Amino acid sequence: MTIDLKRLLDAAAAACPGAEWAGLRRMRTSARYFLAKDGEFEDTALIDSDGALVEVLYKGRFGYAAFADFSVSEAARAGQSAFAAAKSASDRGVFTFDASVRPAAVVRYETARKLKAPRSADAVYKFLFDACGALKASDKVIQTQAIVEYEEKDIEIVSTSGANIDQKIFIVGHGLQAVARDGDVVQRRTANGPRGRTMQGGFELLDFPALLSDAKIIGEQAVELLSVEDCPSDTRTLVLAPDQMMLQIHESVGHPLEIDRILGDERNYAGSSFVKLSDIGTFKYGSDLMNISFDPTIPNELASYGADDIGNKAVKTYIVKNGTLMAGLGSLESQVRSGKPGVANQRSHSWFRPAIDRMANLNLEPGSTSFDKMISSIEKGVFMEANRSWSIDDYRNKFQFGCEYARLIENGKLTKTVRNPNYRGVSSSFWRNLCMVGDQSTFRVYGTPNCGKGEPNQDITVGHASPVCAFADVEVFGGGK
Amino acid sequence: MTSMKEFEKRFNALIDAVFTELYPEEALAVTYNAESSFFMRFNGAKVRQIGTVDQQSIGFKYCALGKTVNLGLDLSGDSFKDADAVCAAVARMRDMAALIPVDPYQAIPTASDETREEFPGKLLSEADIVDTILAPADGLDFVGLYTQGPICRGAANSAGARHWFATETFIVDYSAYLPNGKAVKSSYAGREWNGADYRAKLDASRRALEHLGKSEKVLSPGDYRVYITADALAEVMPMFSWDGLGERGIRQGESAFIALKEGRKSFSPKFSLTQDFSLGIEPRFNSDGESAPSSLNLIEKGKLVNTLVSARTANQYGVPSNAAEDHESVRSPAIAAGDFDEACALEAIGTGIYVSNFHYLNWSDTDSARITGMTRFACLWVEDGKIVSPIKDLRFDETLYAMLGDKLEAVSKQRSLIVENSTYGGRALGGSMIPGILVNGFTFTL
Repeated sequence: MTIDLKRLLDAAAAACPGAEWAGLRRMRTSARYFLAKDGEFEDTALIDSDGALVEVLYKGRFGYAAFADFSVSEAARAGQSAFAAAKSASDRGVFTFDASVRPAAVVRYETARKLKAPRSADAVYKFLFDACGALKASDKVIQTQAIVEYEEKDIEIVSTSGANIDQKIFIVGHGLQAVARDGDVVQRRTANGPRGRTMQGGFELLDFPALLSDAKIIGEQAVELLSVEDCPSDTRTLVLAPDQMMLQIHESVGHPLEIDRILGDERNYAGSSFVKLSDIGTFKYGSDLMNISFDPTIPNELASYGADDIGNKAVKTYIVKNGTLMAGLGSLESQVRSGKPGVANQRSHSWFRPAIDRMANLNLEPGSTSFDKMISSIEKGVFMEANRSWSIDDYRNKFQFGCEYARLIENGKLTKTVRNPNYRGVSSSFWRNLCMVGDQSTFRVYGTPNCGKGEPNQDITVGHASPVCAFADVEVFGGGK
Repeated sequence: MTSMKEFEKRFNALIDAVFTELYPEEALAVTYNAESSFFMRFNGAKVRQIGTVDQQSIGFKYCALGKTVNLGLDLSGDSFKDADAVCAAVARMRDMAALIPVDPYQAIPTASDETREEFPGKLLSEADIVDTILAPADGLDFVGLYTQGPICRGAANSAGARHWFATETFIVDYSAYLPNGKAVKSSYAGREWNGADYRAKLDASRRALEHLGKSEKVLSPGDYRVYITADALAEVMPMFSWDGLGERGIRQGESAFIALKEGRKSFSPKFSLTQDFSLGIEPRFNSDGESAPSSLNLIEKGKLVNTLVSARTANQYGVPSNAAEDHESVRSPAIAAGDFDEACALEAIGTGIYVSNFHYLNWSDTDSARITGMTRFACLWVEDGKIVSPIKDLRFDETLYAMLGDKLEAVSKQRSLIVENSTYGGRALGGSMIPGILVNGFTFTL
């Protein structure tokens, strides 16, 4: 059904003539989810969401109202509700905003796709059952799981100042898992971590023959993990695959650099940051090899877009350059509050949540070291792959992360596999120990569709691309008591 | 704002509309979620974001000819449009069912009972919220979220079950900070706003802040005596749901409690965990319209006595269902009280740490039920039974079989009702009844 958003906006604005500005954001999503376990049907789900959020500005305060009835009368009611909220805060706002933080941009964006038509459900389930078969490497595999999911998201924004934005995001993901058991030991192995393979794109991302090959390897590695030793407990050079760099960047670079966290907005829930506003432009975040970009332009990356959810056009921006912190992950609101440079990252998960500073795509730019050269230069190390555990303090400093699979590096060679590989560190020193950055040949794009933050809470899609990286002198350890 | 009565009227109308569409070979379970909420987010006792959300959604589990399809969609609130939408949803589920394989463990809903619970509240007028919440906190660096409004849950199925649960609640979920970065966390929640009770909460927070002004003590990694408060222990509760006590997860290797189930490990006899709906803060019915037992012992004096079993898992493994949700998470958990008086906590610690809150817990090794996490907020260093100073935050990495097992010294006789404050996807219902615990040799690693 076509909804005339401009007409609804006019109704909302007319209902609150005292407002200085009004905007309307509609967000529609349609998701499909297919799951098989052990070669049998497990779940099929269709999830649709559709609604809008009106914002009004009154005496420097924004108020919002979310609604899902696209009638003129309901839009008017929502406008009045948003206005009343803004008015009630007129004496007690954190900041006096003006309409400059809601740009009148005209943006069109659509995910680049080669194949636009979905596979039929029966074809999907044939693949899922075949994948379960491929994952079942031996009788020691006690559970196999294969998932295909896809989602279309349509975000439209109009405003009284002339914003006109329409963005169509298409996301396709798949997951493969094998759980193996031998006696008291249980090990899980997946395709690059839970939901790591969720990307923007079309159905060309579901290359079923290639995925069946991956499934075979995953199953074999799950069984392999049963008979290897635990990761040793000592200090050594840590080499992280891109599917763990994803998590490392996310937790110890992305979140600490969200400017709304630095401004204290998240202190009751997600926390604050060890980074101070005065660090932006001067702080040595990592070694000279560390180059981090906010990059909304990589076609397949999960959080590529043309503009954020308050209508600010998104451009690639270096956040960390040669190890020095250059900018924060702060939207227009955070930029005026802090006086610091930022990016277009005020985003919302859904029609019923206001937009806040979020990561989008945050990537470690490739360096110049080949994988072979990296490994051959390491005397005592460990190469870890695929995130399975993550915990960090509320200032984003003391962390502990775990992976599914690792191999020791001994005298320049990858040697034996070890299980339950974990490591811990402190963000502010960890990144200064970044000693090698892989070249383009190991650069991979990953992401996660469920980064959580905000009050009220919301999760969001984020993308993190990186090559393989090496960090010196990291405390590693294994499982057990 | 939409009232509980209006939401209930809409739920009943939709149920009647959708069941009319079914043929004899079809079965359907329906869930309905609705809220009409006011949110005020604040920082430094000033408004950060403020607004309202009117939100309703419906979920279906469709069963026919051995096939199962789940479908969820947002509702507009317009009765005509929504009736059309749910009837169209039936057609979409039929179409999808024709294409997918048979569900080998299909659980066709069969429960047919009815329940109705409604808990009206006395909430603030929206125009008064800003001043009522923030003015008493003047002088505090006051951060958090105020939420109020009705929350409704409905469930029904084609076998005749019909359930309704509605409540009007508020919650001020806040923390108060000192300039040195130390903070206390608290909340004030209920159904009837009482300004005096709220101000008393803030006064208690101001008193708690007095301990945090001193220089923080930096502790080395090691094993310490700790008293873990109810607020901190509440952060551990989700670990009984995530890779938790669900029967399906245990059978399929996706649980940290396989050793517990197989008798290789146990908790302390002082530790008992129950799924207890007599707390009255969330409904007993599940998405299939089944009513769970009012009380289900999960862990009794350290031993696993029941897992959580959904109808589908019951079919798969031939075990009795206890009307768990399909995700087999613990609802309404209650840890049994002990006999230790929490007023003696500092004395009982002697020298060690008073843990007010935990943060960001995760499994570090599921085979050994080992979790890692951080201390947060008002954790204190105690010497010879006296508070000395706040501590610099510490990371722990400890197995639950030690924390709630051989290292557990005492469980408090006082318990706190920790109300659920999650708002992911919508305002959650529920909470947990939790004591404090005294643990000897709790392992901190960083």
